[in-house]
Amino acid sequence: MIRFLLLATLIGTPSLLLASETEDFSFFENRIRPVLVAHCYECHAEAAKEIGGSLRLDHAQGIQQGGQTGALLAAGKPADSLLIQALRYDGLEMPPDQPLGETIIRDFETWVEQGGLVPPDQVAPQADDSQTELWSLQPIHDPDVPDVMNSKWPRDSIDRFALAKMEDMGISPVADADPVMLVRRLYFDLIGLPPSPAQQSEFVAQFELRGHTAVRKLVDQLLSQTQFGERWGRRWLDVARYAESNGNDGLGRNPTFPHAWRYRDYVIDAINADLPYDEFIREQIAGDLMESESAEVRDRRLIATGFLAMTAKPAKAMNDNFDMDVVADQIDVITRGIMGLSVSCARCHDHKFDPVPMQDYYALAGIFTSTETMWGVAGHEKLTAPPTDLHVLKTPATIPPPEGFVETVIVLESATGIPKKLPASKWKSGTPLAMGVRDKKEPADAKINIKGEAKKLGDPVPRGFLSACNLAAQPENQPPAINPKQSGRLQLANWITHPNHPLTARVIVNRIWQHLFQRGLVGTPDDFGVYGQRPSHPQLLDHLATRFIADSWSIKQLVRAIVLSRTYQLSSDVDSARIATDPESRWLSYHSRRRLDAEALRDSMLQASGQLDRTPAQGSIIRHRDILVNLAGNLHQSSRHRSVYLCFLRSSPPPELAAFDLPSFTTVTGKRQSSTVPGQTLHLLNNPFAVQQAEAFAKSIAASTSDDAEQIQLAYHRALNREPLATEFQQATELIASVAAESNHHQALAALCQALLICNEFRYVD
Amino acid sequence: MSTKLNRRQTLQSTSCGFGYLALQAMCAGRAMGAVDDLSAALPAIAPRARRVIFLCMSGGPAHLDTFDYKPQVGKKKHPGSVFPFQQHGESGLWVSDLLPETAKHVDDLCVINGMHADTGIHAQSFLQLHTGERLRTRPSLGAWVTYGLGTENENLPGFISLNTSKSSVYSSAFLPSIHNGTPIGVNGEDMSAATIANITSDHATLSTKRKQLDFVQMMNRQHAADRRGDDRLESVIESMELGFRMQSSAPELLDIRNETENTLQRYRVGTQEKQVGTCKVTDFGRQCLLARRFAEAGVRFIEVNHGSWDQHKNHRRDLTANCEATDAPVAALLQDLKDRGMLDETLVIWGGEFGRPGLTPEDGKNETGHNARGFTFWLAGGGTKAGYRHGATDETGARAVEGKVHFRDLHATILHALGLPANELTYWHEGRHHRLTGPDGGKIIHQLFV
Repeated sequence: MIRFLLLATLIGTPSLLLASETEDFSFFENRIRPVLVAHCYECHAEAAKEIGGSLRLDHAQGIQQGGQTGALLAAGKPADSLLIQALRYDGLEMPPDQPLGETIIRDFETWVEQGGLVPPDQVAPQADDSQTELWSLQPIHDPDVPDVMNSKWPRDSIDRFALAKMEDMGISPVADADPVMLVRRLYFDLIGLPPSPAQQSEFVAQFELRGHTAVRKLVDQLLSQTQFGERWGRRWLDVARYAESNGNDGLGRNPTFPHAWRYRDYVIDAINADLPYDEFIREQIAGDLMESESAEVRDRRLIATGFLAMTAKPAKAMNDNFDMDVVADQIDVITRGIMGLSVSCARCHDHKFDPVPMQDYYALAGIFTSTETMWGVAGHEKLTAPPTDLHVLKTPATIPPPEGFVETVIVLESATGIPKKLPASKWKSGTPLAMGVRDKKEPADAKINIKGEAKKLGDPVPRGFLSACNLAAQPENQPPAINPKQSGRLQLANWITHPNHPLTARVIVNRIWQHLFQRGLVGTPDDFGVYGQRPSHPQLLDHLATRFIADSWSIKQLVRAIVLSRTYQLSSDVDSARIATDPESRWLSYHSRRRLDAEALRDSMLQASGQLDRTPAQGSIIRHRDILVNLAGNLHQSSRHRSVYLCFLRSSPPPELAAFDLPSFTTVTGKRQSSTVPGQTLHLLNNPFAVQQAEAFAKSIAASTSDDAEQIQLAYHRALNREPLATEFQQATELIASVAAESNHHQALAALCQALLICNEFRYVD
Repeated sequence: MSTKLNRRQTLQSTSCGFGYLALQAMCAGRAMGAVDDLSAALPAIAPRARRVIFLCMSGGPAHLDTFDYKPQVGKKKHPGSVFPFQQHGESGLWVSDLLPETAKHVDDLCVINGMHADTGIHAQSFLQLHTGERLRTRPSLGAWVTYGLGTENENLPGFISLNTSKSSVYSSAFLPSIHNGTPIGVNGEDMSAATIANITSDHATLSTKRKQLDFVQMMNRQHAADRRGDDRLESVIESMELGFRMQSSAPELLDIRNETENTLQRYRVGTQEKQVGTCKVTDFGRQCLLARRFAEAGVRFIEVNHGSWDQHKNHRRDLTANCEATDAPVAALLQDLKDRGMLDETLVIWGGEFGRPGLTPEDGKNETGHNARGFTFWLAGGGTKAGYRHGATDETGARAVEGKVHFRDLHATILHALGLPANELTYWHEGRHHRLTGPDGGKIIHQLFV
């Protein structure tokens, strides 16, 4: 369908008539074959259940010979061709559901008129040729930095790529952001918090004196703060579908993951330490299999494998496919999360468009069926998931539950209504544990599950990787052989982080770019496959990927390079005409304004109100609780720590964040939605969190000064980093007077404070 | 930019009470200077319905065991209905024994047996049912309807989605976000107390909150004035006003305690206690009752959800449970709409993202899959033919063969019923006109109307 739409939009542009030694099949490949694949293959191709009218349209012989009804084409004579008559519903009616669009039929006529050329068949006719075509599977090449007309403008090679494209499109970049705009943008993008008034004025002064040097200094300083890891770690946690409970198992039960928070801390620490991304990935896939030089490193790597244990599992009871459901999630988080490729269709069938056959899926699946996944006791409810072992850590302290702690949420026996006895834990209370994976004792290849059913087994498939992703032609770059005594995760980790892997670096640099520009160079960050969007700047993407690998896969270095580019530092102040020529800043000619996400909004409110506790929260409120969340009522507690440390239970998200487009944390989420709905207003006006922050804000202002005018000025200063305008000052004075007349001065000041915390100026970043 | 005012800009910058049709009428009624050429060319269509209640049966209800009777005929056993059917009412339409209460209203139903869709993949077909598009976030049907018609009650959202799943199915996407659906309750959770989050708070009086919001909006307008061209900032301003007004109107509507015992009983509010297989506890009765109350209050598009009908393994048990959970509430809703004279102007729609293949009763199997090439929807009210059956599937129910209706045709027909031009209701976004019925356009099924 996508192809179909693309096609429809392509119509009217002149086709490229390339001179070639042989005949030119580009028209067929670009305009005809995609339509055949989309609309005809279901009945007229090798994979069809029954070949309609004995006609095959998936290879040249079939098209040239026709089927039962006779020859399909009269070369050069569209009107006499059976195919065209059928498309026009003249006698025959094809496709049977609905005629194709007029423009498409005209393409077919053009093609027949030009002789109806079809490329000769390969040895075996391929159902689809996208395997070799798909842009994202081509090797990353280091493109030459392009020349630009306005050679004074670029600061970094990133700028040259961006400007070259703009010049192609006939547009030029807008002005640079002023220092006030820039400093707020940098703070939010790097650490997810606004600059304090003092930090802002310090930067503005430095910028006047030292220009770009001041920006570099600020960026380096922000990159070194622990808040950087809290901000950027949260983004990886979205990809990793990190959560502290299983989520609804399909039957309403939602067991906690009391040890998941260790993985959260691992991610934050790894980002702050700038752990090279390839190492970061290897640890999460195969940390347990890596040689570790110390107990600390060993523990860290065991925790990292929690990445593979966060599955939102469907109930085990009556579910023959349970084990393969877990495997499917592990495959999905690795393929979509790390490689931007969805292979989940191949669990049940070969897909006509995707370059991943079932063989590949089960080659990967064998790696995970040879792996033991450890999620813990699943709320002591065997019907949702059988209890598993956990990693026992050597280095963290033993933290027993507080004295007098008694678990209150206990499942009742359905027959008697008597509480089920909690099984005794196999570990001493407070033992440091972690979710994760380890190899099974007897690794084995997986058998194909016919139609995805674990009970209908086909042939075993040797463990391996995706055949469509070639690392390179050279033999030394062949995928590492899987040790039959192991699961193969270590080899998978090495394969996926190989510098020649076409997807891994591209996908992460695109994610990083998207977080800084609101839109990735590829607009579908989790889908670099045939259904995904094509890159707007393919060369820039490859340039960044090459640079990233050369810089030892350093996330901080890449973020630094991008935010120091002139392209990133453009103003967001644009008019409608600019938006019309460069919608959503696809061509990067200006910076996109963005709304604070759920976490940044909450953290900013806490900072403005003076309530923010910048120290990392310790553990989790559910760290001692193996329970079913659905039986527990509201488990959330208010907290003054940053939002990343709130309890991210599936199906029961933190109420302080829930109004602002939180994902469900059940699958890979590379891009959150940004909706505007009245429910958000209700949250801002009425949610206890917003009300409490306004109260605390007002209290701290009243403690600083009792002068009405100074209070207003201070409120503006702390919320918006500026003085109120004269009109604003007057209206604020009136608001306070009028509300005070109905209640009291404190309430009135709190009303003003809340207003400043919820206005667009507070919630948007230019 | 000249003073020329086009439809889109006007609709984007005016408040939610102002629909596309109202503007069109205004443009036709008096000269407004140069107006977008399209608006003059649009045909005026007499509206049959004023609002929509969409009973969304998520997961794919088994058409062959609800409204598409396929008895065994001939010698060779073939897939078909496994539950018994009877003819009902004066129309004599066949309804499964699983739906005795709905069957009493069969003379109000306009049953479409020839539905077909493109894919048997849940997520894609569900999205296509809601938005016309399988893969990308596009405006939902409800968003298009409120975009087209505006609202009848400016204190409530025009589009409410109860027990909804993911936000992409009630999204306004690129349409002004005031048309975004307002969710109540989350699919999979108990709906018995589901409400609009944060709808009330007693920390301040409404009068104080109004003054506070006036101040916020002053700040917001100033902020937006310095940032012209950013539609999102305008959207926030509108959305804040709506949110504010909802505080005074919604709590009362959501409180069903003033309904009589008899009404609560007819709707079976709160009677399902346990999940049975795929049939979740969604308090569908309360949803239907709320739908009636929202319809009375002037909400334009109300979607209520029940699921999941995706019963693969335990077809008989789970389908029975799903039917039982929904049958009486649907009947009560139809009865109430009729009693209040609202059925004529309310288009009720029942259906899911696809159907399910039949079973061969004698082979003892109890397992079904997905069937997108033929399934059933029904409509009621809103000027549709009552006691009427349109289209048919083949003898096994696998494929629609007569009177075929695709989702895009259904969409076109719904828009038409509301007096909106099905294929001309467009919105300019990212360089092209978009419409609900997609690049292929939809066929209005005129035979469905009286």
